[in-house]
Amino acid sequence: MEYSLFSKPRDLFIDIVNPKDYVQIDSVSHMYQSLKTSVQKPLKMILLYGRPGTGKSMLLHKLHHDLSKHQKVCMIDIPVIDEDDFLRVLAHKIYSYASRESLSLTNFLELSAAVNYPVIPIVLLDEAQLYSSSLMEKIRLISDARALKFVITLHKTDNEDIIAKEHFQTRIWESIELQNASYEELKIYIQKKLLKANCFDVANMINDKNIKLINKLTRGNYRDSNKLMFALFSLYAWYEEHNPSKIKYNALNKKWIEMAAIHTGLIRA
Amino acid sequence: MLDVSKLERRWLKYKIKSMLPYAGFLTVIIILGFTIPLLLSTSTSSHSSIKKENVKKLKAPLPPLSKNDENSMILEPSMQFLQSMNVPSPSLEKESISSIPVSTVPSKISISQPKIETAVPPPIVKPIQTPVQKGNLTSIKRDDTTFDIHELEERFKNNSNPNLGLYIARYHYDHGNYTESYNYALKTNAINSTIEESWLIFTKSLVKLGKEDQAKKTLQLYISNSNSQNAKNYLDTLGKESHK
Repeated sequence: MEYSLFSKPRDLFIDIVNPKDYVQIDSVSHMYQSLKTSVQKPLKMILLYGRPGTGKSMLLHKLHHDLSKHQKVCMIDIPVIDEDDFLRVLAHKIYSYASRESLSLTNFLELSAAVNYPVIPIVLLDEAQLYSSSLMEKIRLISDARALKFVITLHKTDNEDIIAKEHFQTRIWESIELQNASYEELKIYIQKKLLKANCFDVANMINDKNIKLINKLTRGNYRDSNKLMFALFSLYAWYEEHNPSKIKYNALNKKWIEMAAIHTGLIRA
Repeated sequence: MLDVSKLERRWLKYKIKSMLPYAGFLTVIIILGFTIPLLLSTSTSSHSSIKKENVKKLKAPLPPLSKNDENSMILEPSMQFLQSMNVPSPSLEKESISSIPVSTVPSKISISQPKIETAVPPPIVKPIQTPVQKGNLTSIKRDDTTFDIHELEERFKNNSNPNLGLYIARYHYDHGNYTESYNYALKTNAINSTIEESWLIFTKSLVKLGKEDQAKKTLQLYISNSNSQNAKNYLDTLGKESHK
């Protein structure tokens, strides 16, 4: 395929968690700084929660990327639901202890006592709502024994208040809630993402009305916005190839934004 | 892979669906607009026809009495009026008195009701809004987000990209920094003199800075080189405003 003006911006919005793609927005960077200072405190568990698509995983990956330069950090982004496997994975990743046999909690704590790190290692658990209550109890015990610190992310839903569960209610010492972007934040998020990749032409095409429509359709959800922008620039790339006369370079086409929203399921048609 | 033709069809369906309520509302208004005057006119016509009929009936002459009727009719005086002149019995009098309870009970009601009506409404107490604090949550205040334009300006210094220059000029113009927007539009024009929007921002900034004559001259020069319709329109509006 020939060079396309819209293929690069399209690929920018592929929904992949990569700390290099982290876009700094004031509110999120406040939260990130707060998270970083919390990690330095002698806390046992730190909770990061919010609705799906608010940037929890991205923040966790960014934290992993930044902290791993200075101390031992273990990232478990795909939940290890089996309890024996979980302890074995932790032992392997943190203490480089490989064992085919199952590892009890006592053995694990003994192992952690034997290995001496200058700073308590940090475990970053993504999608912690998938872990069973008994496994969460084990995590609580490990953190109580000050063997490891945990930073965990949870989905917040309308149906279930996970934070109200016993092991979180009594043990969480720091919790940070992430929220959807406001109109201004979404505008900066999209513009910064494009400008970071030198897509100035496309950044110039996006006006306030376009952002308002995108914000209305996605309700400021970062994941939905990424999906919508990806579909939109895919459409632009298609028209650029098949019907370039239809493209207007002074603003994004409202119809195409709506078509992208239909394609991504944000509009039911 | 996107199926654009299918997407366009779905979009059309969506648009029609979204327009349906408005269309329905419009048709209801149109129907009401037609029917209400019709109904009004028919009701007035029916009233008038009834009146006319009544008038006709009144005006119609009574049938003349025949001689036979006059003869056969014997009028006798009624003596019932005497009964009504009789003094009423005591039992009836009692009943009639008891049947006037209006003076006692309703008076009480009539006194109590106005009290409710004239009662002064209680003062509206506005709820005091206190900041909601969640148990262990850290309170993170959100600052108004600002855009780090300086970083972009630095990048523009390094790469002299006209699109970036245009972006910065537009940003400054939108934020009311007309001197900056003037500078960046000027730089952008120096790099690439074919960007229409950059010229427009340049002249608009000049107008905002009180240099309308210079803006007009610049626009005329630009129009002579590019034949830009937008520039012509803007020059026209400037001319009209100066005449006012």
